[in-house]
Amino acid sequence: MSSIPWPFHKFGFKPAITEAASRRVRQWARKRQGIDPTITRLRPGRVYILPTGVGLVFGLMVFAMLLGSMNYNNNLSFVLTFILGGLGFVAMHQCQRNLVGLELHFAGVEPVFAGQAAQFRVAITNHSKNPRHGICLYIDKSISETQDLEPGESKVFVLAVMTEKRGRVPLQRFGIRTLFPFELFRSWAWLHMNLSGLVYPHPADNAPPPPPTQTAQGHRQHDARGEEDFAGLRKFHEGDSPRHVAWKAYARSGQLLSKQFAGADTSSQWFDFSQVAADDIEERLSILTSWIISTDRTLEDYGLRIPGSEFPPSHGEAHRRKCLETLALYGLAENDD
Amino acid sequence: MTRPRGTDGSLLESLPWTLFALMFSLAPHVQFLPWWITAAFFVCGAWRFLIEKRRRPIPSTWFRGFLALLCFLGVLATYATISGVGPGSALLAVMAALKLLETRKRRDQFVLLFISIFLVMSSLLREQYLWSLPYLLVAVFLIMTAWLRISSPAGERARRSFSTSARLAMYAAPLAVAMWIFFPRISTPFWSVPMDTGTGTSGISDTMSPGDISSLSMSDEVAFRVSFKGNTPEPRDRYWRGLVLTMFNGRTWTGNDPFRGARVHEQVVNSGRPVEYSITLEPTRQPWVFALDIPWSWTLERTFMGPQQQLARSRPIDQRMAYDAVSYLDYRTDVELTDFAKEFYTRVPSESNPRTRELAARMRSEAGSEVEFIDNVMRRFNQQEYYYTLQPPALGSNSVDRFLFDTRQGFCEHYASAFAVMMRAAGVPARVVLGYQGGEVNPMGGHMIVRQSDAHAWNEVWLEGVGWRRVDPTGAVAPERIEIGRSGSMFDGIAADWGFSTPSMLVYQMQMYYDAINAKWNEWILGYGPENQDKFMEWLGMDDPDWRKMMLTLVALVIGMVLLISFILALRYRPPKRDHAAILYRKFVTRSGVEPHLGETPASFAVRIRPESPLPPESVDEITSTYLEARYGPTNVAALQKLQNAIAALP
Repeated sequence: MSSIPWPFHKFGFKPAITEAASRRVRQWARKRQGIDPTITRLRPGRVYILPTGVGLVFGLMVFAMLLGSMNYNNNLSFVLTFILGGLGFVAMHQCQRNLVGLELHFAGVEPVFAGQAAQFRVAITNHSKNPRHGICLYIDKSISETQDLEPGESKVFVLAVMTEKRGRVPLQRFGIRTLFPFELFRSWAWLHMNLSGLVYPHPADNAPPPPPTQTAQGHRQHDARGEEDFAGLRKFHEGDSPRHVAWKAYARSGQLLSKQFAGADTSSQWFDFSQVAADDIEERLSILTSWIISTDRTLEDYGLRIPGSEFPPSHGEAHRRKCLETLALYGLAENDD
Repeated sequence: MTRPRGTDGSLLESLPWTLFALMFSLAPHVQFLPWWITAAFFVCGAWRFLIEKRRRPIPSTWFRGFLALLCFLGVLATYATISGVGPGSALLAVMAALKLLETRKRRDQFVLLFISIFLVMSSLLREQYLWSLPYLLVAVFLIMTAWLRISSPAGERARRSFSTSARLAMYAAPLAVAMWIFFPRISTPFWSVPMDTGTGTSGISDTMSPGDISSLSMSDEVAFRVSFKGNTPEPRDRYWRGLVLTMFNGRTWTGNDPFRGARVHEQVVNSGRPVEYSITLEPTRQPWVFALDIPWSWTLERTFMGPQQQLARSRPIDQRMAYDAVSYLDYRTDVELTDFAKEFYTRVPSESNPRTRELAARMRSEAGSEVEFIDNVMRRFNQQEYYYTLQPPALGSNSVDRFLFDTRQGFCEHYASAFAVMMRAAGVPARVVLGYQGGEVNPMGGHMIVRQSDAHAWNEVWLEGVGWRRVDPTGAVAPERIEIGRSGSMFDGIAADWGFSTPSMLVYQMQMYYDAINAKWNEWILGYGPENQDKFMEWLGMDDPDWRKMMLTLVALVIGMVLLISFILALRYRPPKRDHAAILYRKFVTRSGVEPHLGETPASFAVRIRPESPLPPESVDEITSTYLEARYGPTNVAALQKLQNAIAALP
């Protein structure tokens, strides 16, 4: 967990004993602290501290220096030894105080596609009148950027969690940590905010082409977009096809307008789960995801039909999110754990 | 093996500081290190810095291994050993230089800083002067700053690291002082390591061969400092007894003990008033312990009196030692001397120095008594052409003859040796005493300074019914040497060094002032051993101090101070007092059951929660607007009251 190697790494203690021990400790901390609200201020009682590898070496060195000073009755090397010893004590308390009183505020996580890293954002606020140094968030191997917090400052720390499969990626526990000053001690706190991020299915790499356009009523459409029945103009929205922009009107008035056509509601693609040519559910979801992404890019309307829900053809960010979320959670029990 | 990649320049912010801390720690070692190590260190430092600056790859592992082997062999060749302070610090310097070349990551520099700390430590083991304390404080400060630079985020200002380390040092200082005062000092070392602390000392050696060295080093270094409890003895009484030389082989006097099998101590009868004083002896790496002629009691541990009233310690004096002593200036020793002893103290090699022996025999037969004979010899030194000089010619074989009849120039050793040989040749038991003679009172500190240049040799002769008597033949040649000591001449030398034609009072005063500070420093800081600590503990009011009590006090103090530091830090990092209105508003937020989003204003929060909250919409609006008024509006006292009521009225 620490970026400073624990000295027993080499001797193979870590995998077997320390891993089990640290799991027990984490479970104990979880039980002790309970679930944290999404705004949590760190109390002193939940900030833990242990020496780092460097700290252990430092302690050994100071002890050796003490023995040397005693042996030679050398009062100046006593001075040196005790200054370093005193600094050790001070560093320990400074390290713990560097975390106590910080306020952590969950600031959201954007959905990602499976295989990407979910970026959990946590805002940390320093309410005190003194700066906080070298703060970072971590979860297992992943560490956020290390930053200082000036008095009263609030910064967003991003914690990347790798995702493998669609659904919800839970972040039941993450840590906040500091090594300041001197990296002799590592002080940390565990937070259990019960966060989770949404993971869309992984878009299929070589998906078959999307099904041809068809009308909802079943009769053939002439040109896929139903451009015959001009119904009027409306204000241009982001996501409207450039083909539908009324360029003549734009030249006249300087205002971007989109042409509206009667029958446009029915002139879109339908992506139907049951009609995807694949046997595996995950593969189907992947293919659907890839269709949605590529169609969304062309700014054309699409609808999604999947057992349990149906989204009529539309376009735009909200539609895309809704569809992808349905794909992400398809067939998964919604139990928060 | 992976080929070393190029550096990325990320060390540019921390490496200069690490280098600076290292160089500062190394500085006091430079005068003791062989030149090539200092050179290697600076070359490696500059090289590594350029590598970082120009983003070059660091040298390959093979090259570094080769260099390491070379340096190790170099140290071995220079010192022939790797233990002790000298080779130890040389190895540290070499390690630092080589580690520099393989430093890739920020954290590699921790090793360099550990080496820095050890360099400071070994410098303190080597020498402890007045400047050693500021040196170690500045070094620690630089090391701390470099340490902070290593782990601080990129782009942080150096000034900030400075102020952080100053603040941390401020917290640590009282802890360090308390630990320093109360940590129990012990007098017995656990182990003994040769302390080859370099420069050979001038002063007293344990043999004497007049004529071998043709010039005596007249070092102004302090041999010891004395403070007297009562009156300061007269200059003519200031003989500091060191060791007694009893055997002469024709050329060299040595101090072998004639009564090795059965140590017979001389019978001592003291009279007159005792002189009480305390001595702070500088390290000599020799066993001799000096005391005013002749010592009666002393407080230095492991120190024993030899059969001829000389003091010696069973371990060399390898660090500054302070002790109290009592001496009697009037004394009689060995009124009776056995025949064996008489024979022993009159032995001279029968083949050497024939002219001296012949002269002594003639003068003894001319004189009516032994006392008259001694007076005649002294008169001969006084009235014939003998010169006191610090640069006498070399003497070769039959050195006493050459001195007495040909060169006639010498310093105390020549006179003492010649005198003792003449006495012995005439059948009068005689021996040579080495020690210091004189001492200069520091008007600023009130103590007496005895310097290496006060080193002296004199004689003792045994007279029937009287015992051993001190005779100083040098006094016959250069009486001012005895009467005023050498302080005047030293003072002239300093004035000349400084380019003054006449002695300047200011220089003299500054010298004395510096020495007074030095004396206090030595006594209370460097000499804070078991005795001084006990004294200080008693002064603090601790009854019967022992290490348990001190350790308990130490632990209690450290715990108290650490708690205090923790409290101060808690104050420093406490959140500002919450506004009263904010506390009330927070209650409302909790009651609403909804968490505000990051950056959401109270107004938009109210809009959002109105439909979903269990609270009545009108009280949501009221509380929100009253809160805003209480917090930011002009009539905040009335609004605060209203807010309180509104929250109390919530269902």
